[in-house]
Amino acid sequence: MQETEQEKECELRRLEECIEAHPDDPSLRFELGVLLWEEWDTKEKAAEQFVIAAKLKPEIEKGGAFRYLGIYYAGLDSQSHSQRALKCFQKAVSLNPDDSLSGEALCDLLDQQGKESLEVAVCREASQKSPRAFWAFQRLGYLLLHQNKCSEAVHSLQHAIRGYPTSPHLWEALGLAYQRLGRFTAALKSYGRAIELEGTRIFALLESGNIFLMLGSFRQGVEAFQQALEISPKSVSAHYGLASGLLCLAKECNNLGAYRWGATVLEEASKVAWMCTQLAGNMSSIWKLHGDIQLTYAKCYPWMEEDHSLEFDVEAFDNSILSWKRTCCLAAKTARCSYQRALHLSPWQANIYADIAVTSDLVDSFDNSPGHELSAWQPSEKMALGALLLEGDNSEFWVALGCLSDHNALKQHALIRGLHLNVSLAVAWAYLGKLYRKQGEKQFARQAFDCARSIDPSLALPWAGMSADFHARESAAGEAYESCLRAVQILPLAEFQMGLAKLALGSGNLSSSQVFGAIRQAMQRAPHYPECHNLTGLVYEAQSNYRSAAASYRLARYAITNLPGSDRKSHMTDISINLARSLSRAGNALDALQECEDLKKEGLLDVEGLQIYAFSLWQLGKTELALSVARNLAVSVSTMEQTSAAASVVFICRFLYHISGLDSAINSILKMPKQLFQSSKISFIVSAIHALDRSNRLESVVSSSRYYLKSHEEITGMHFLIALGKLIKHGSEHRLGYQSGIDHLRKALHMYPNSSLLRNLLGYLLLCSEEWNDTHIATRCCDIDATNPSKGGLKSAYEILGAGAVACYAVGNCSPKFSYPTCTCQCLNEPGAIQQLQKCLRREPWNQNIRYLLVLNLLQKAREERFPCHLCIILERLISVALSDEVYHNTGMSYEYKKFQLLLCASEICLQGGNLTSCINRAKNASSIMLPDDCLFFAHLLLLRAYALECDTVNLQKEYIRCLELKTDHHIGWICLKFIEYRYELQSDLDILESSFKECSKERMNSWNRWRALFILVQGLISIWSQDIISAEQFFAQACSLAGDESSLLLCHGATCMELSRQGCSQFLSLAVRSLTKAQKGPLIPLPIVSALLAQAAGSLGSKEKWEKNLRLEWPTWPQEMRPAELFFQMHLLARQLKASSASRIEFCQSPEKWVLRAIHTNPSCMRYWKVLQKLVE
Amino acid sequence: MKLAGLKSIEDAHEESVWAVTWVPSTETRPALLLTGSLDETVRLWQPDELVNQGKMTGHCLGVASVAAHPSGHIAASASLDSFVRVFDVDSNNTIASLEAPPSEVWQLRFNPQGTMLAVAGGGSASVKIWDTTTWNLFATLSIPRPEGTKPTDKSSSKKFVLSVAWSPDGRRIACGSMDGTVSVFDADRGKFLHHLEGHFMPVRSLVFSPVEPRLLFTGSDDTHVHMYDAEGKTLVGAMSGHASWVLSVDVSTDGAALATGSSDRTVRLWDINMRGAVQTMSNHTDQVWGVAFRPGGMPGRLASVSDDKSISLYDYS
Repeated sequence: MQETEQEKECELRRLEECIEAHPDDPSLRFELGVLLWEEWDTKEKAAEQFVIAAKLKPEIEKGGAFRYLGIYYAGLDSQSHSQRALKCFQKAVSLNPDDSLSGEALCDLLDQQGKESLEVAVCREASQKSPRAFWAFQRLGYLLLHQNKCSEAVHSLQHAIRGYPTSPHLWEALGLAYQRLGRFTAALKSYGRAIELEGTRIFALLESGNIFLMLGSFRQGVEAFQQALEISPKSVSAHYGLASGLLCLAKECNNLGAYRWGATVLEEASKVAWMCTQLAGNMSSIWKLHGDIQLTYAKCYPWMEEDHSLEFDVEAFDNSILSWKRTCCLAAKTARCSYQRALHLSPWQANIYADIAVTSDLVDSFDNSPGHELSAWQPSEKMALGALLLEGDNSEFWVALGCLSDHNALKQHALIRGLHLNVSLAVAWAYLGKLYRKQGEKQFARQAFDCARSIDPSLALPWAGMSADFHARESAAGEAYESCLRAVQILPLAEFQMGLAKLALGSGNLSSSQVFGAIRQAMQRAPHYPECHNLTGLVYEAQSNYRSAAASYRLARYAITNLPGSDRKSHMTDISINLARSLSRAGNALDALQECEDLKKEGLLDVEGLQIYAFSLWQLGKTELALSVARNLAVSVSTMEQTSAAASVVFICRFLYHISGLDSAINSILKMPKQLFQSSKISFIVSAIHALDRSNRLESVVSSSRYYLKSHEEITGMHFLIALGKLIKHGSEHRLGYQSGIDHLRKALHMYPNSSLLRNLLGYLLLCSEEWNDTHIATRCCDIDATNPSKGGLKSAYEILGAGAVACYAVGNCSPKFSYPTCTCQCLNEPGAIQQLQKCLRREPWNQNIRYLLVLNLLQKAREERFPCHLCIILERLISVALSDEVYHNTGMSYEYKKFQLLLCASEICLQGGNLTSCINRAKNASSIMLPDDCLFFAHLLLLRAYALECDTVNLQKEYIRCLELKTDHHIGWICLKFIEYRYELQSDLDILESSFKECSKERMNSWNRWRALFILVQGLISIWSQDIISAEQFFAQACSLAGDESSLLLCHGATCMELSRQGCSQFLSLAVRSLTKAQKGPLIPLPIVSALLAQAAGSLGSKEKWEKNLRLEWPTWPQEMRPAELFFQMHLLARQLKASSASRIEFCQSPEKWVLRAIHTNPSCMRYWKVLQKLVE
Repeated sequence: MKLAGLKSIEDAHEESVWAVTWVPSTETRPALLLTGSLDETVRLWQPDELVNQGKMTGHCLGVASVAAHPSGHIAASASLDSFVRVFDVDSNNTIASLEAPPSEVWQLRFNPQGTMLAVAGGGSASVKIWDTTTWNLFATLSIPRPEGTKPTDKSSSKKFVLSVAWSPDGRRIACGSMDGTVSVFDADRGKFLHHLEGHFMPVRSLVFSPVEPRLLFTGSDDTHVHMYDAEGKTLVGAMSGHASWVLSVDVSTDGAALATGSSDRTVRLWDINMRGAVQTMSNHTDQVWGVAFRPGGMPGRLASVSDDKSISLYDYS
């Protein structure tokens, strides 16, 4: 410390000495001045030095001396000194325009003296002199902004920001300048930057909030205001902005019809606005805002239908309506109060009068205060007049008066005055149209609406008016609906929405979502109108939601009880019938019956009511009563109009059939007058009854009624029915007449080739008919590619494909891996069944039938691929879920059968996986299901196999006997049994098995030979196993003669003959060649081994060329991963026949050694290959 | 707003493509497209050229749904046999394998925070929530049965849950069922809140608006797209135009546009404010099972996948 003091002393002394030496050196003087100013704080002495320095050389240190002097004088508090300071600073700035300190000080001084124009001039001069005089730009920008010269201000401020990029003030000012210029997005960006730099810029927050509201981004605006409120919780403008932002948001919600959402937002807004009134209760605009919020709340507060609406009783309903009305009314009254306060504060504002008028009107509508005297002025009218007295030339006030007045003449006058003032006022035209419509002057009304619509197409009222107009003309139901829909979309008003539902009823759009949404919204705003609930019920019914429909009708009935009016009773009847119908459809027969009986007591049961009555009685088991009601109905049929008569006749026919049976139904139909049957619906019913009747009593009625089938769908539907009828009529006791049904469908399909209904039925029948060759035709005739699965019909195309693929694995299996389908009728181009079923499952994951078929198909695939592990796991899982599905708890025959099949699948997989206990358990489970013996056979067959694997001879024998006892209609069962019988040497009479086999095949003549061939094949195989090759050959020859074109049989025969000729019976060689050649030509997918054997035979006969050719044919018949060692070895033989011309052939792709090596690699245990290799190497 | 086709890959899979989602970008790579197909594979694609980045096998039946974790590292896929495979996107290592009875896994969705995975539980009439750290079942949100029905009643299969969605704040879960009802749950408390009515056919897809947590969009077999106030139980808008089932819906990140894929083989773009279709893309030749907007910033991308085995990428602006 001491030292620095000493240093300072030294420095001072040194400088003083220097000055003494050179008294005329200005820089030394300046240096001394600075030293005295900074270090010694003796400003007076310093100032002396600066004065001298400035005199000697004014431009020293770029006017630094003047700056110090300016500061010095400014510090001295007197008028003359400040003048002197001003001059010093001016000098300093003119010498160095970048000197922000002097510049700011100068401007401050000028500002103090109120010389604003001088200030601007100084800044402008400095800014022109140097682009780096940022202080000047900044100052200039602020000043220009202050003077409202915004576009210039923007330039200055932008320049200044380059100098001070982190100054939030500058950004804020720039934002304001942009805002005043109307460049809102730029303004938002600038404000955003300011807020970013300093989070507490409340001005920027408020202004950006205002801009957001102006631009319609209410949510962001609300956020900005909320942020502002956090910084300054007492800010009136933040409160005001937040409340108005929330109001705008709520209005947006309400325009969508989201009333509940709007109401919650408004509740919050109201709180905020109330806070605001507490902060500044003397501002009329705040009270007006509060009034606006409450008014909107009153207009949007929804009636909440509680979730358990079924439990509503009259009282609860009334109470809930009352409390809803009270809430709305309270809000409206609060709004009126707030408006009155606003008016009290600023009674010169005409629009508040109008607001009060509107609110009063709303309060009156909620209050239902009984009859004002017509002559007296109502408060709403009076207030509207008040607004007009203040601003008589405001057309909107005239419109308001026109709306609020009760006198038609005054209304018309007011609206026309409004139009005088502003001819393009769409609202006025619209209301004028409404007025004319009410007075019955349709021509004028339409003109007025057209005017309104052409001026402003986004106004809802003219659309609604037009819709009513269309409706009146009756010809254009669709147009009326469209217009009304537009009105509803523009403005979700309950009246429009109910109108929409009513129009939808007429034009058949009742199940459309728009109507549903509209009527549900209408219910929130007009719960006291019975028609609103009634329409809701109808919409629910159109969507098949009968429970909710019934609940709505009940509400409608509650609402109507409160309603005065003369036609109450007829409405009540209609609603009651609606209720009874939906109850009946919902399956609630008891309540439906109760409703009908109530109606009957009052004598109001009409045709529809009678039908419901009879139906409910029947459902409850009171058939006698039901029949008598039906008879009543029949009596009144003759007096009905066409459509309801048809419905009644259909009802009576079905009813009679169900209660008293076929004969009674036919008799009554024959008794009915012919002219009743002139409708397509009746035609269907009559035809269905006719189909069941074997004695064809209704022939004439049916043929005459079919004349009334018109549309494409109806005709194909009728063909469907006829085909089913033929099944019954041409069938025997136990079998349906499939062939005649199929024939009919084929003819019908020729006429209507794109009817998927007929196609699917044909496919189904072909599958059912169990003929050998029909499965692939069945799958081919159904149309899977249809984008939308058609409803109706017995089975879908997917189900037929799935079932067909189960029946014949070649269908839809485009790349068989391990099997060689030999039938000539395969359809290799068909889509894969497993994929198609998965596609279907993706569409309808709840469809158990498809899931079941997928399981069966996967099992087929697993069986082909020798039960690979991953497939078994999937199957296990799929089956366990399928079995746990509640569908299979049903006790229908088809469910039982599916369950049985699934259990067998599960059991089979366990068997393959070696899990014998659970295999046996499941098979036992399956065998305990109540099914015909025919099916149960297979459960026991599986048990048999399981016991065989377990070597449980006692049970084995038992199951075998059980199988023989049960018998089956399926040949394959007997064939399997035959196998097992031989394999495990089971004791029984051979004859039983064979005779049963012959017995079961009587029905299906077409395939009998094939089955017999198969059975003989098994016998042949058994002979081979017992080394009796001669008789085996005889069996095979017999089988081939029965089913001549079956390649696998021919292969067996050929191979056996080869074996025999090898043993020395050379006459068999030619037989072998014949069979094998046939087998080679037969199937689409060539069988392996056939060509190899043929080659061998040719070789034995000495034809080397044929040997080569056949051997070459053998190669591609094997899938790559399955080629046996012998094949490679044979190829080596071929390869050794080196020929130059045939170098491209397969056998020359590698050397003979390589072929042998590959053979050894595949089967290293064969000594023959090793020996050949040895020779080759040598 | 407008869609412009950028790239289309025919035969991207060997079979119908059923599911699509965007895997968000990470530090090392941009966002990728993830698709699942009937051919039992899940594939990754690099935009905008749709370069195949990898093929993931491991399912035994068709892949019905895919979902990506918001971090972009993890994804999940589910097949018809109801295995959910959770895997690392970049290495294809299996992280977890969640098992449920078949028919009880349908659509998958991670919550925006990435802590939970919601699974539409199909026939179980519930939504299953899995914890993404332990991969244990965290909660089961069941749709309550209507009053007066017994547990064995057949009607429970009508509540087959097909689709699920999280609200952007992660506090609400909505699921769509086969009978057309949409159920809303409180995710924090695991509580059923209410149903949203209006559809009467299966609701196959639903999505919350990313900017407004109350707004829910649903697509249904009744050909309509609905807009709900999910808190206030109100149907606030219905958009019609598709000629057949609406199979998939997604909202753009700015919340202004909605894309739908339908059985009528088209992709439609809807202006949410106008509540009308602004564009129809008909480049697919079979039903469109999935549409997905790329999350995050510009430029906007929309992908669609279809039964015709193709993937299409569009520019959304």
